Amino acid sequence: MDLYFWVFAAIAVLAGLFTIAAKDALPSAMGLLTVFIALASLYLHLHAPLLAIFQVAIYAGAILILIVFVVMLLMAPGERLTAIQANVSYRGFGALLGLCLIGLVAVGTKGVSDIVSMKGVPEGFGNPSIFGDLFFRDFLLHFEVVSVLLLVALIGGIYLCKKKL
Amino acid sequence: MATLTHYIVLSSILFGLGAIGFCTRRNALILFMSIELMLNAANLLLVAFSNFMADMAGQVMVLFIFAVAAAEVAVGLAILIVLFRHVQEVDITKFNVLKW
Repeated sequence: MDLYFWVFAAIAVLAGLFTIAAKDALPSAMGLLTVFIALASLYLHLHAPLLAIFQVAIYAGAILILIVFVVMLLMAPGERLTAIQANVSYRGFGALLGLCLIGLVAVGTKGVSDIVSMKGVPEGFGNPSIFGDLFFRDFLLHFEVVSVLLLVALIGGIYLCKKKL
Repeated sequence: MATLTHYIVLSSILFGLGAIGFCTRRNALILFMSIELMLNAANLLLVAFSNFMADMAGQVMVLFIFAVAAAEVAVGLAILIVLFRHVQEVDITKFNVLKW
């Protein structure tokens, strides 16, 4: 369905624009959240439901929370959230984010297959079991390397945040 | 029907926005978010090609990019916090100790 693509593509571009144009870091992070969710919706359109879930869980859930946490932590003492709340363009943007979330929930309840046509892709494409099969057989070495990378990043993060560096 | 070209253009726009943001903003946190935007544009392109070429390997690659992005954010934000402790500032123009 063409409309589906255009709606979420427009949301992604507008939110991307907001991300780089927002004055403060916190509204910028909300813009980034909207980009993530719009892209998750587009992943559904591209027959990648598992990646859509990961996009919401890892990007919107974990990475963005970490960024927002640091934004709050590093907020200058004089800077207060009331200044952000007063801005009208931020309210309009909040409406856009809400629209995006409602769209995602609507897709979830109606079922992806009703909205997205399955023609043009082989049977079972995007199926999590095929995904897992590929992931743990053909890409097993990559998986191990990435797990080491994550471990190193974990250790590095803890080391850097020691009290006395 | 949205074709591969649509997705390539959308991905390019998002990547361009991220690049512009990275080059023009001075707040280090917004620079991070611009990098995330660029990574997401790359992800979208991988998933789009995976769909239109009917090859699931592209989707698996996206999962690896997720892991790399998570590692990048964890270490990057830790560095930013250490920097903030020294300079009390997130403006990248203030980080000029190594500037010649």
